[in-house]
Amino acid sequence: MKKLVNEEEIIQVAKLMKIELADYKVHIKKVQKMLEYFDILDEANIESEDLIVQETDVDKLRDDKHIIYDKKLLKFLKNYQETYVKAPKLS
Amino acid sequence: MNLGISALQYVNSIKNGDFTVEEFIEKSFERIKEIDDKLHAFLSFNDIALEKAKGIDRQISSNQKVGQCFGMPISVKDNMCVEGTKTTCASKVLENFVSPYTGTAVSRLDAEDAIIIGKTNLDEFAMGLSTEFSAYGPSKNPWNIDYVPGGSSGGSAVSVSANECIASLGSDTGGSIRNPASFCSIVGLKPTYGLVSRFGLVSYANSLDQIGPMTKTVKDSAFLLNIISGVDHNDNTTIDNKNQDYLKNIDAGIAGKKIGIVTEMTNPDGLSTGVLNATNDAIKKFEDLGANCEQVSLGMSKYAVAAYYTITSTEAGSNLARYDNIRYGYEFDSSGFEFNSYISQARSKLGPEVVRRMIVGGFVPSAGHAGKYFLKALKVKSKLITEINHIFKKFDYLISPTVPIQPFKFGEKINDPVSFMLVDFNTVTANLTGIPAISVPFKIEDGLPIGIQIMANHMDEHSLLQAAYALEKTVSLPEVEI
Repeated sequence: MKKLVNEEEIIQVAKLMKIELADYKVHIKKVQKMLEYFDILDEANIESEDLIVQETDVDKLRDDKHIIYDKKLLKFLKNYQETYVKAPKLS
Repeated sequence: MNLGISALQYVNSIKNGDFTVEEFIEKSFERIKEIDDKLHAFLSFNDIALEKAKGIDRQISSNQKVGQCFGMPISVKDNMCVEGTKTTCASKVLENFVSPYTGTAVSRLDAEDAIIIGKTNLDEFAMGLSTEFSAYGPSKNPWNIDYVPGGSSGGSAVSVSANECIASLGSDTGGSIRNPASFCSIVGLKPTYGLVSRFGLVSYANSLDQIGPMTKTVKDSAFLLNIISGVDHNDNTTIDNKNQDYLKNIDAGIAGKKIGIVTEMTNPDGLSTGVLNATNDAIKKFEDLGANCEQVSLGMSKYAVAAYYTITSTEAGSNLARYDNIRYGYEFDSSGFEFNSYISQARSKLGPEVVRRMIVGGFVPSAGHAGKYFLKALKVKSKLITEINHIFKKFDYLISPTVPIQPFKFGEKINDPVSFMLVDFNTVTANLTGIPAISVPFKIEDGLPIGIQIMANHMDEHSLLQAAYALEKTVSLPEVEI
């Protein structure tokens, strides 16, 4: 089978997506099969097709107003200190 | 007391005083207690449902104004926020997440005195079509518990089909309302993208996600759509439907209407024999009702599944980035961890299907690969929209079986991702093009249900429901025995 994505690429993508893969090998075959199926897109003859983009006029957006939220959202967090979210240290 | 009544029958019974709201809710909980260990439709229950029922009974007895749902028990897929209750998305990552607010669709039902009886099971973050990817175990098909109920709104479909509640709210990104509706023999409506607010729906692929009703009858879907549809300032994609009444003239019939039978979705090579026969029977019924049916090709639908999974994986990769266990998550002390290492460790609780889609979602839009996958997928989507717009200039409806096969056994497809993806073949087109589509229960073959899908043009739910009602009236199906 044509190697669409190899182990190193999966490890790299997982790292970028911040996913800890205990055993990346269990995912390789399925990811490869999915990507192999996506090759059907090559047959679609859509090279000259323009993309349809949904646009919204700025005046149709809701007003950018500050709405005071009356509930204490911090209490929903697992880790916070005073009025700050507590996060792990950045290296 | 018959728990199998429709929403409209329930409203009439309450108005007639046949039973009280409290009695019905109590019976519903008894039913759940009796059968849900076997079916596993629910992930959590509303502790104050009975209290609310008593309150509505008091309003009724003192002739106060009562909302049009009159306390009917409704379940909600557990990827929609209901203030003060857990919203797990069937993921261990959100095991103890409590919603700080209620989403718009649920709020609108609540404002009309529906009683949210509980939250239902799904594939983790709505990624799947069988509920086999729920971190809390799958739901079972009430028609035969050895078979999947469909998904991802499988718990919702089971809860309605097994008479544990009157109706449910599901979400549909590529067929997640219609597929389980077909597999469990109930009605499932995916509205036009934007007709129902997504505010409070946990995003999977937000350019395609849509909330819709899952009900026992077509009229019930129209009834619920009347309540949940319309503009919401919290969701900028919502559309003004001018308070359209979807129940009005629902029995208008379809005589003289033009129906396109989608060639690619009714190809005998792709359908099981039972589904093919049922589809031919449905076409005959439509013709008997006075509609003109003819074959129509939707060429891009051949590439729709690949485009759909490319787009949804990409959006899912982005949407799931918020689950860093800092703002949402489970008990996991961050002391001693470096930032990235902590997030990676925390995400180890994500299930295998979610991880796979995140990997695919990181890969297909990445530099060097985006041109081959993501850009092409977007172009397929654009061309599919052009094709659909062209077809609806000639036809009023498009039809196909909702799912090319009948419900399958647990484990039968889980290890073959392509076979799994192709189950979505007939449903993803409506999501990619934004059009409304409905699954109508049509046949029980070998003890398992088959649904027929009807699609209509953008914002043409009124006409779509008329066609669905006309088809529904031609069939008489057995009750589920459980």
